[in-house]
Amino acid sequence: MDMALSKLSRRLLRGFLALVIVFLYAPILVLLVFSFNNSELPAFPLSGFTLHWYHQFLTNADLRAALGTSAIVAALSSIGAVVLGTFASIALARRRFRAKALVSALLLSPLVIPLVVFGIALLLLFHTLGIPRSILTVVIGHVVISLPYAILVLVPRLEQVDVALEDAAHDLGAGPFSTFRTVTLPLILPAVVSAFLIAFTTSFDEYAVASFVVGTRATFPIYLYAALRFPSQLPQVIAVAVVVLTVSLLVVLGAELGRRRAEQRLGTLDVGG
Amino acid sequence: MAAEAGYGASAGLRRRRWRARLATPGLLGLPLAWLAVFFVAPICIVAAYSVDAFSLFPGPHPVTLSAWRDFVHSGVYLRLFWKSVQMSLIVSTVVVVVAYPLAYYLALSGTKRKYVLLLVLIAPFLTSYLLRVLAWKVILGDQGVVNTFLVWTGLQAPGHPISALLYSRFAVMLVLGYVWLPFVALPIFVTLENLDRQLLEAAGDLYASRLQAFRRVTLPLSMPGVVAAFLFVFIPTVGEFITPSLVGGTSGYMYGNQIVDLFGTGFPDWETGSVLALFLLGVVAALTGVFARFMRIGQTVGR
Repeated sequence: MDMALSKLSRRLLRGFLALVIVFLYAPILVLLVFSFNNSELPAFPLSGFTLHWYHQFLTNADLRAALGTSAIVAALSSIGAVVLGTFASIALARRRFRAKALVSALLLSPLVIPLVVFGIALLLLFHTLGIPRSILTVVIGHVVISLPYAILVLVPRLEQVDVALEDAAHDLGAGPFSTFRTVTLPLILPAVVSAFLIAFTTSFDEYAVASFVVGTRATFPIYLYAALRFPSQLPQVIAVAVVVLTVSLLVVLGAELGRRRAEQRLGTLDVGG
Repeated sequence: MAAEAGYGASAGLRRRRWRARLATPGLLGLPLAWLAVFFVAPICIVAAYSVDAFSLFPGPHPVTLSAWRDFVHSGVYLRLFWKSVQMSLIVSTVVVVVAYPLAYYLALSGTKRKYVLLLVLIAPFLTSYLLRVLAWKVILGDQGVVNTFLVWTGLQAPGHPISALLYSRFAVMLVLGYVWLPFVALPIFVTLENLDRQLLEAAGDLYASRLQAFRRVTLPLSMPGVVAAFLFVFIPTVGEFITPSLVGGTSGYMYGNQIVDLFGTGFPDWETGSVLALFLLGVVAALTGVFARFMRIGQTVGR
């Protein structure tokens, strides 16, 4: 007898799972439907098909500027988080040092700080130092937020890579840097890419901290939040929402599939070695 | 060990020296400096503002604990904090209770597509938070999708929308639950996935029913995952301010909104705001500490 699940409960749970998945995706579908609805108001009854809202947001200069700003902020902050995260991860995975538990707790602590608290803390820092708020101050904040994610992705991967490979490179005369570049980096590349993607999407969607330290150039979430106050902007915001949600769902699924394929490749490599 | 001996002692020594050369301080220096300047120092500055050592207003100002005293004595902020705690508790509990059976099914039913289904379940969490909140604003409003649908289909008389849907405590909790549900299944799934199936078979051999086996074996062993899931939701939602400000109205106003407003442009009071922020940080840090202890105990017991 299967001790985990009876046939009946298996069927019930499968139905429940289906219901929850519908609940999770229904709001996104609602947005999809109303993004094509020919009405100022997202309400029933539907009043015909239009691409007007998509056209409107594509020609909205402010909105496109905000998307561009967010892309820059996300790119800079994820590069920063991945570089810092790689340094920290190598230390955590390869080195022994005193107070390691404390150091790793500190490196991961931005994960649990309430973002509203971190936001005002940064605001007060920049205010006290007299640093004007700009997209750079947002980048600084986002690097802090994304750093723990990068470490959480990179450390397990580094631990999978056989240290003997790095030692062999050294025995063959490679210095620390070229060992990293030619041996370690290619082996952890999938994790580096997913760390980058996680940091990028985190930053691209981050409102809480950005709302405190952003300057006059709005990021996408800042723009969106402001636009939500004007009902006339709602239809085009819905159209943008559909595009962003679709793209990010595709990126997530693609990244996961890619990661699994890479995992399989490393698996065969390990068997071969 | 064997490889070390094979290479000879000198190679081992050389290698150790090589590893030391790419020294730990060099690797950790940059990340730790970044966090010291942009994470630890800002929190210290918040502490300085909370005792008026720093102030928004120029001029001399002695260090004082008056803002802390007011915070404790007035009770307004503590009551608001308690309200936020209650809302978060309800959200976290409901979400864990819903996610547990899903994780259980995916981990233990032996379905071949478990990773695909898990990914489908989690994927919404990895998309835009703000946009998923926006979707509910569109759905729940007086002129929103639900109300106009009810009127359109004749289930509801026109002109009498269900106003409690949006700008209420209910709306905040519904949206927070919606946002966090996909993520919560993950830690529970991981503990159930690592569960030793033989324990269940042993329970069966000892004539336990499925329900008894679940209550006495599976559930206790999955508690670390359940606690983790619970805290993963509770910690970020208790200080939440985005969702309540978008769908909460006045009755869904939370502690996080109060902090934001104290730093807002209307009547800024950075001193009180810093006290509120530090109090929230203290509570969250304490919870995280307890949780870390709990997880370590869970691991040693597991072994």
